[in-house]
Amino acid sequence: MYRIFSRALAGAGALGLACALMAAPAAAQDTVKLGVMLPLSGPAALAGTSIIEGVRFAAEEANAKGGVLGKQVELFIENDEGSSTKGVTAVRKLIESDGVVGISGTYVSAVALAASKVAREFHVPMVSAGSTSSNVTDANEPGDPWFFRAFPGSVEQARQSAEDIVHKLGAKRVAIIQENSIYGSSLADQLKKDVEAAGGEIIAIETYNPDERDFYSVLTKLRTQKPEAIYMAGLMDAGAQIIKQSREVGMDTQLVGSGSMMSDKLIELAGPASEGFAVSSMFEPSTPNPVGQAFTERFRAQFNKEPDVYSALGYDSMNVLIEAVRRAGKADGAAIQQALMHMDDFPLVQGPADTTAKFDAQGSVPFKIGLAIVKNGKREWLPFD
Amino acid sequence: MDSFNLFLQFLANGVVNGSGYVLVAVGLTLIFGILGVVNFAHGEFYMLGGYAAVTAAYFLGWGLLPTFLIVAVALGLFGILSERIVFRPLAGKDATNAIIASFGLSVLLQNGALLVFGAQPQTLRLDGMAQTAFQIGPVFLTGQRVLIVLATLVLVSILMLVLRYTWTGRALRAMAQHPMVAQISGVHVRRVSVVTFAVGAALAGIAGGLMSAVFMVQPTSGSMLVLKAFTVVILGGMGSVGGAVTAGLLLGIIEAMVSGYLGNELRDMIGFFLVIVMLLVRPQGLFGRITERS
Amino acid sequence: MRKPVSILLLCLLLLLLPVLGSGGYLLNIIVMIFIFVILAVSLDLVMGWAGQISFAHAAFFGIGAYTTAIMERDLGTGFWVNLPSGMVVAGLFGLALGLPALRLRGHFLAIVSIAFQTIVYLALSQWTSFTGGQYGLSVEPVPGFQRVGQFYYLALALAALTVVLAWALTHSRVGAAWQAIRDDEVLARAIGLHTTSSKLLAFVIAAALAGGAGVLVAHHIRGVTPDDFTILVSASIVAMVIVGGQGTLWGPLLGAVVLTALPELLGPLASFKLVIFGALMIFMIIAMPEGVLGAWVHRRRR
Repeated sequence: MYRIFSRALAGAGALGLACALMAAPAAAQDTVKLGVMLPLSGPAALAGTSIIEGVRFAAEEANAKGGVLGKQVELFIENDEGSSTKGVTAVRKLIESDGVVGISGTYVSAVALAASKVAREFHVPMVSAGSTSSNVTDANEPGDPWFFRAFPGSVEQARQSAEDIVHKLGAKRVAIIQENSIYGSSLADQLKKDVEAAGGEIIAIETYNPDERDFYSVLTKLRTQKPEAIYMAGLMDAGAQIIKQSREVGMDTQLVGSGSMMSDKLIELAGPASEGFAVSSMFEPSTPNPVGQAFTERFRAQFNKEPDVYSALGYDSMNVLIEAVRRAGKADGAAIQQALMHMDDFPLVQGPADTTAKFDAQGSVPFKIGLAIVKNGKREWLPFD
Repeated sequence: MDSFNLFLQFLANGVVNGSGYVLVAVGLTLIFGILGVVNFAHGEFYMLGGYAAVTAAYFLGWGLLPTFLIVAVALGLFGILSERIVFRPLAGKDATNAIIASFGLSVLLQNGALLVFGAQPQTLRLDGMAQTAFQIGPVFLTGQRVLIVLATLVLVSILMLVLRYTWTGRALRAMAQHPMVAQISGVHVRRVSVVTFAVGAALAGIAGGLMSAVFMVQPTSGSMLVLKAFTVVILGGMGSVGGAVTAGLLLGIIEAMVSGYLGNELRDMIGFFLVIVMLLVRPQGLFGRITERS
Repeated sequence: MRKPVSILLLCLLLLLLPVLGSGGYLLNIIVMIFIFVILAVSLDLVMGWAGQISFAHAAFFGIGAYTTAIMERDLGTGFWVNLPSGMVVAGLFGLALGLPALRLRGHFLAIVSIAFQTIVYLALSQWTSFTGGQYGLSVEPVPGFQRVGQFYYLALALAALTVVLAWALTHSRVGAAWQAIRDDEVLARAIGLHTTSSKLLAFVIAAALAGGAGVLVAHHIRGVTPDDFTILVSASIVAMVIVGGQGTLWGPLLGAVVLTALPELLGPLASFKLVIFGALMIFMIIAMPEGVLGAWVHRRRR
């Protein structure tokens, strides 16, 4: 036993040494290293795989124009699988092993929260690739943010949704179905405050666990209370089921979705029940924003399909980051952070016309979000008014 | 009046979900009762059944019956394959090994499905099956949901008749009661093994296909379901088909009631609490036999 | 004898690794190996020595991890207070499960442990107000050990301590009693051993050690989520014990190394890695049911 054993140990030792040497970072190449962190598998994979298209597109366009600071942009992509623990590992790999100076990521807010702490510790700025929860930007020191979001946070989104529900959709008695999570709770709590402030009333709040798919009981209960609108605070998969099943239990109540439900897949999964479904949307190919329109044309030409809000999110995220590197003048985290904080006039493709990346003290960009309603299987934007 | 109608709706929901549990649990309890194998990959048979149904309906455009025929056949073959490659080499060895192997199979199948089909959920749309709901009295149902209950009724009845009155059925029952004696009397152990897995997998696959019409199918659809199925098997008694049917329906109904009256978030937990209670109070389940404790 | 020399070489390599290569990724993997060594070695006390089957180890792992996260959030305490606390809490849960469950034999014990594991998972993922629900809680790094190169030594120390403890236990009277129970429980009882309390001791110690590993992992990953403590993790730990070789000291260690490291080196894409992992589990159980070391010891005895 001992002979084989010691040989095995020696072998393992040699392997370990080889790995250690191989894993040492390669000599610095002449590129600007930027990290990308997204859920490319797992429950949020649908969003993640769409967002990364926009991210890559922005980097490719930049490189085609000569890169930034005279060097090409090199992307290091990590899959956080929608899990905060994998997210922390991913962000540490990006920073400690790959040596990135800025990160575009991520989508799931809980992951963004955990990862942004690490990023802050190492002084590497992160630009959100879809994470909306205000918790993440609230964790920033005011005036010293390391997590940026080039669009409004969940608090602002809920406020605008509340006003849209009461004023644009004319619903005063509102019920909420929320996911049993921080994301769901923060949206629901904010919406309740804002609906009541706008003159409406929350008549019921029902909770469900994130992987729940059967809503018959919940919806049957709500049906007896006759709400004028139901707001869903959760992810797309559950949203699709709620929409579909609400029609099956004989409800034709107006349904309103939170930001994560602005995808075409949801319309496909919910089927004909999705007619009339309302959701906040920060980007549609038919946007009145000229920067957004130009982006749509370029994207369409490159990929032969329409961009959606996910591609727009990814594009803005990476684009803003690259521009920040350019304005900082050097590939250094702290300098890039300063550039982001003072980036007032850089145009975004999302939002209404003239939206620019003017981050507030907490690191968010507040702009008016449009309300889209599904008509004939496609989302149409109501005027921003 | 309203609260009674609500109760009826919850009851109906419970029967629908319970029927799904029954189909999966029956296969599981057969595999355990006859072969002594604890199969954690059973949930993946369910999931693959869902994908098989979606594939058949979308890519081949087939209707209701042919789709499910394909599902049964495909999953039956899959069950046979699993038996051959994973479980037969472990027959006769320590039971723990089979449990671990079935976990390994579960991981392999789940991630394999992820690679092949992608993470996006899929839903089954069947032609000839209306998408809208209809009412039976105060209760709302859809065609797909009623189908689950009907299919379960039909399939389980057929199974029980087969077990009782055919040669194969008797062979299976003999193996369950006295493997030694069965072998001596000429029962082909291998053949029984293959048939059991084929039937178990096919039933799970059909359940998956039916459920993919009501809900959605994703590579992870099997994980929670297999735990629920085990709950049913334990509550009903390992190896007892009648137990699986009773416990399956009961679990579905209890879950619906808990979800409706106590809170949706508690729905998943109630089953596992019941299991722990059952194991402490009456470990053999409702209809199980007390096996020898070595 | 070659053995001490090669062990010395290995120890030297382990001690110097963070200095030799600055690859954070590799160090991360090795820290995870250390953590799984603690888990596998402790489970082996239950499986290989006391002869019981438990699929609840990830639940105790999770209980330890969440204890530190929740204590930090609500009481503001740090790693050094939470480590023993996590072990105590996990140990208590081990006692709570072990008392009724060890009356059952064979299959039934395995199934109770699975039910317990699942209830713990559900409580962690659905009791959002207390545990943070599906998205979990975050945990602060340990002061003085923030970089992975530093945390490495902490993990190494705790893993080494666990191995030493296991060695001491199994070579004591306690271990002899376990062996007697494993080989023939009826006989053991007949000669006057208190089998139930002996089994319970193994179970509680294993649970406490798993809880300690949980505290460690929580501070390493800087957070806890329920999906890190699923029944699959339990099954993996059982597989590590079996594949390495039950009832030997080096067996679970080897199993932990193999089943943690190999999938990582196999491919960048998560699902591909896991497909291989699943296949590996199946293959190893079929090909080497006594474990790598078990088969070797077997051959040596002939």
